[in-house]
Amino acid sequence: MGTTPEGSSPRTLAEALRARSEQELTALLRARPDLLNPVPGDLTQLATRASTRASVVRALERLDRFTLQTAEALAVAPEPGRYETLLALLGGDDGDLEVEAALPGAVETLRTQALVWGGGGRLRLVRTARELLTPSPSRPSPTGLGPTVAEATAGMSPGRLQEILAANELPTTHDPVSAVTALTSLFTDRRRMGELLDQAPSEALTVLDRLVWGPPYGEVTASPTPPVRWLRDHGLLLPASPRTVVLPREAALHLRAGRAHRTAEPVPPAVLPARTAASGRPAGVDEAAAGQAYTALSTVEELLQDWHEGGPPVLRAGGLAVRDLKRTAAALDTHEQMAAFWLELTYTAGLLAADGEADERYAPTPVYDEWLTLPAAERWALLADAWLTATRTAGLVGGHDGKGRALSALGPEMDRSAAPEVRRRVLELLASLEPGTAPDPETVLARLRWERPLRPGAGAGSDGVVDLRSRMAAWTLAEAETLGVTGRGALSGHGRALLGPADGEPQPAADRARTAALTTVERAAAQSAAATALAPLLPTPLDHVLLQADLTAVAPGPLERPLAETLAVLADIESKGGATVYRFTPGSVRRALDAGRSASDLHTFLATHSRTPVPQPLSYLIDDVARRHGHLRIGAASAYVRCDDDALLDEILADKRSQGLGLRRLAPTVLAAQADPTTLLQSLRSIGYAPSAESPQGDVLITRAHAHRTPPRTPPVPVPDGPPAPDDTLLSAAVRAVRAGDLAATVERKPTAAPTARTPGPGGGLPRSTSAETLATVQAAVMTGSALWIGYVNAEGAASQRVIAPVRVEGGFVTAYDHTADEVRTYPLHRITGVAELADDPA
Amino acid sequence: MNGPLIVQSDKTLLLEVDHEQADACRRVIAPFAELERAPEHIHTYRITPLGLWNARAAGHDAEQVVDALVQYSRYPVPHALLVDVAETMARYGRLTLTKHPVHGLVLTSTDRPVLEEILRSKKVQPLVGERLDPDTVAVHPSERGQIKQTLLKLGWPAEDLAGYVDGEAHRIDLDENGWALRPYQKQAVEGFWHGGSGVVVLPCGAGKTLVGAGAMAQAKATTLILVTNTVSARQWKHELVKRTSLTEEEIGEYSGTRKEIRPVTIATYQVLTTKRKGIYPHLELFDSRDWGLILYDEVHLLPAPVFKFTADLQARRRLGLTATLVREDGRESDVFSLIGPKRFDAPWKEIEAQGYIAPADCVEVRVNLTDAERLAYATAETEEKYRFCATTATKRKVTEALVAKHRGEQTLVIGQYIDQLDELGEHLDAPVIKGETSNAQREKLFDAFRQGEISVLVVSKVANFSIDLPEATVAIQVSGTFGSRQEEAQRLGRVLRPKADGHEARFYSVVARDTIDQDFAAHRQRFLAEQGYAYRIVDADELLK
Repeated sequence: MGTTPEGSSPRTLAEALRARSEQELTALLRARPDLLNPVPGDLTQLATRASTRASVVRALERLDRFTLQTAEALAVAPEPGRYETLLALLGGDDGDLEVEAALPGAVETLRTQALVWGGGGRLRLVRTARELLTPSPSRPSPTGLGPTVAEATAGMSPGRLQEILAANELPTTHDPVSAVTALTSLFTDRRRMGELLDQAPSEALTVLDRLVWGPPYGEVTASPTPPVRWLRDHGLLLPASPRTVVLPREAALHLRAGRAHRTAEPVPPAVLPARTAASGRPAGVDEAAAGQAYTALSTVEELLQDWHEGGPPVLRAGGLAVRDLKRTAAALDTHEQMAAFWLELTYTAGLLAADGEADERYAPTPVYDEWLTLPAAERWALLADAWLTATRTAGLVGGHDGKGRALSALGPEMDRSAAPEVRRRVLELLASLEPGTAPDPETVLARLRWERPLRPGAGAGSDGVVDLRSRMAAWTLAEAETLGVTGRGALSGHGRALLGPADGEPQPAADRARTAALTTVERAAAQSAAATALAPLLPTPLDHVLLQADLTAVAPGPLERPLAETLAVLADIESKGGATVYRFTPGSVRRALDAGRSASDLHTFLATHSRTPVPQPLSYLIDDVARRHGHLRIGAASAYVRCDDDALLDEILADKRSQGLGLRRLAPTVLAAQADPTTLLQSLRSIGYAPSAESPQGDVLITRAHAHRTPPRTPPVPVPDGPPAPDDTLLSAAVRAVRAGDLAATVERKPTAAPTARTPGPGGGLPRSTSAETLATVQAAVMTGSALWIGYVNAEGAASQRVIAPVRVEGGFVTAYDHTADEVRTYPLHRITGVAELADDPA
Repeated sequence: MNGPLIVQSDKTLLLEVDHEQADACRRVIAPFAELERAPEHIHTYRITPLGLWNARAAGHDAEQVVDALVQYSRYPVPHALLVDVAETMARYGRLTLTKHPVHGLVLTSTDRPVLEEILRSKKVQPLVGERLDPDTVAVHPSERGQIKQTLLKLGWPAEDLAGYVDGEAHRIDLDENGWALRPYQKQAVEGFWHGGSGVVVLPCGAGKTLVGAGAMAQAKATTLILVTNTVSARQWKHELVKRTSLTEEEIGEYSGTRKEIRPVTIATYQVLTTKRKGIYPHLELFDSRDWGLILYDEVHLLPAPVFKFTADLQARRRLGLTATLVREDGRESDVFSLIGPKRFDAPWKEIEAQGYIAPADCVEVRVNLTDAERLAYATAETEEKYRFCATTATKRKVTEALVAKHRGEQTLVIGQYIDQLDELGEHLDAPVIKGETSNAQREKLFDAFRQGEISVLVVSKVANFSIDLPEATVAIQVSGTFGSRQEEAQRLGRVLRPKADGHEARFYSVVARDTIDQDFAAHRQRFLAEQGYAYRIVDADELLK
């Protein structure tokens, strides 16, 4: 600061920017990269864009707590703000050395980010920022301050103002402006204000106490209590609306001893070592982390091995079904949240993806196969790097998105742009501690909250609901431990390497916004550095196991891959961890035999890889299973040739012409053929043999008797001439139906008031009447109990005429006895096209 | 880092036996981890909450456990596991049961929230009385067992410091004439006495009876001994008369046939759990004298009602004797809370190495069924299959061949099916002991066998428990109770007693190949293989040649 002499202060932000050096502009664009898209044409355009609401909000959200407090203080200070005013607002009347030390940096940050411009005496907050940060009734400021006296008295009558002046024993003035000035100067004068408050009733002070730290608004009744009235008379409470009063900013500042914030936090809270910092031995931490890293690798391999032949299906909305997640968790012997983490990790590392087929399933990618061939440390570094830079956030799984939809593992909507930055920052904070020291997680979270405070209204509140960043930070700590980036809570050597070359000393405050991701080249370098650091800590794969008489094999450490793969087929895994315990069972041995190994293969394999003699029960087990394995053979054949004479079958097999039949000798007297029996029969005949066909029971089929038959059929039923003779029930029903239909069609209608509404003729269309008429007629019929002739259109649109005797009319429905159908039915009134009374009782 | 121990994620510990630090490591992990399997190269221990609490009861703390794991582990121990160990161990002893001059028995907590938590449980509420102060609550003395059981289930095991009544004094001394308690037996007695109540785990044949006698000699008080059956009761009596200052008159037998109550009374589980008209008529036995010590033989077989009675006997010293803490019904936690924590444990192999148990050569003889038998087996009903393959004629021939091979050695033929045993008895010209054999007849036969008057004895599963056949050097098992591992261990125990001439015992198991008999045998043998008794397999054809 101070580059611009006070005399030639710029008048606009554009002008201020114009005066900046190249480096300063670069710093601005680095801090606010959104200004670069698209690249602004000139500085005026840049200034305009830097003042847009979206951009300013984005910039404000990325400020640390003290810088934000500085901006907030500037927003409540008179425009343009003086540096000293700002200092007083932040440090209070008594001053605060820490604030004094930190303030220049904060102001410089604001200036760099083009949120503030102007020289030391004339600090101006960009207008948009000012609007965002200045308190207003609808949007309380984090400072808890109310409007200034001038703002609060804007609509007040001059007379009322003079009254307040009088109450405060100030000389009357001629105009409101000077009255406000007089009042303001009273409120800002600590001594006179103190004297004024000394006179105040003690209850009035209690009222002020309630309002002083905000919110500054209070409700009043039409007849306020004496202390409130005293405050109002003295202008210490000014009307904000008919029922509310507000404590003016100047008065509040006096009561707060000049502080804009209850506590200014110029210094970031330190990240402290955990109180239970057990064994802070860096080597111990690295070993623990390496152990965990190895577990992570084997878990990922286990997961993908499990899905080797295709994993679970992809949900139509994307992601993995909860059921499949549960299954995966059970397979990995962990809980669902952890399973989701492993899934997301493999997915972000590109080892797992949806296969994109019609029935979409998850499956390992080709990258996985490449990954498998890498040395363990490099495999880990790839995973860890993928985790560190991913925006996908596994911790969200199981929660719900804004629309209440469940978030599923591997599903959409899992990206949170802040994730990589939070992860990186958490690890950097861990790195700032002495190597081998575990932090107190609370202090890490506090530090993160300081660096990126939550703007009020920008999401979750303080109580109960934890904001996303804090949750992400907590996840990061947990995930780092799971992945082996940290060990016993402290950052490991290889984890440190992952962050890139150390920047030396702890970064100065002004530099902290620089938590930027590494470039691709840097990332690759960091990865290989991490791998190099990790490699010596990982256990070296072994080439042997210990076989025991209880039919177990113990691998006292990780095994070389081919060995592990074969053993996993030959035996069931019973226990995992640093070592692996395998158990041989008849089932597992059979599996190995099915996989194409022979018993002698297995014996050799075990003898080669066992440090100890192969126990006899194990050899017996293998021989026992092998003896019975494949004892029964199953294959498919379409037909067979059977002959008691071996020589004849030899002959057939030797015959060139039989080659197309797919003949194979199963036993001395049996050939199996791939051709069907008919073809086989004909071919053999054409070669010159005289085969005969056999039934499934083994009888010789006699060709002569060969006849074509239908499947079982029932004989046709006789068709009599004319309908069957009706019985009495049918007859009576028929008569009733006929009579009712007749009644409907032929009955004479009483003439109605409007004969024109009537249908043309009795045999013609439906009766027509207006709906009012219909209703009236039907209601009358209910009273008299007489029958009506109606036209009715059913739900399918088919029109019919019916004779009904209405019983009840209610809710737009007529319940009536339908003569036509001979039952009680309900008709919607709106479907009745018209009604007509019957001329006469047809009976 | 190159320790002998590998800590697995499922809380098992693998100990490499041949490692130079293996013995040291075994010593430090034994107090808190249960030995699960002990085959030849790698032993498996398991960490369970009960095991950790056993360790706490024995005065070990979490730091020692964690140190032991970290010190001997070959690979980094998962942090979560260490935390879990510490947390589990910290749960023991937060609640203590102590005597109170006014209220009799009180439950005190060093951690008030824990007390609040358990008092809120519906199961605890009926067991406690008034709240004496924020950290103390009165407990009715009769609920002492109940509350311990309940608290253990809630995961907050209470430490019982309320002490014991001395009981009616009775002079009992060991009569160490020509013999002496073995060092491990002495340790076991001391461990028990120091702990007050608890369980001593010793393998079959390691002299559990003597540990009992030693405990009685320490207590010098009237003693109630609970055993599995009458034969075993007689055995105890015989042994006590021989090894202590007690005379026949001082020892009573309380069984189905006799109901004597003497200063030392031996009762069977069966008579205690007999129920008539919904009540247990023999329960009064517990109150009939002011017992100073209660001994439970074969704790792993303790029937459920006895647990219930035991709950009311918490003021008396209790000693459980067993070969294994594993119960097929999973009530290990009741043993822990009602009888007490494990006070002493010595692995089978270790005692064998000291020469107190005879080494055994276990052989599985695989018998090929004849074609006719195979066909019959294939067509047998499912529930008959085992019986069929276990009793085939081929097995008989093999058994005869084995007996002939060991002619002159004391041989036991053990089986499950009576008709098979009768047939074998006939062919071998040996007496058969089965369920219907009278006790007098049994003891006569056992005696004759002991004296060497008869050298082959065919026994059914009645001989599974507690009979003592010191000179049996060969046991031939022809059939068993399906896959019971416990039975296998008991049967092997028959031949494990030290032999006069010190030569190796043999345990044959005759098994029909390719049948479920073989599957069951595999299951049974797994237990022995895990104890370090590897089976050798021999084809029957080789024997018959």
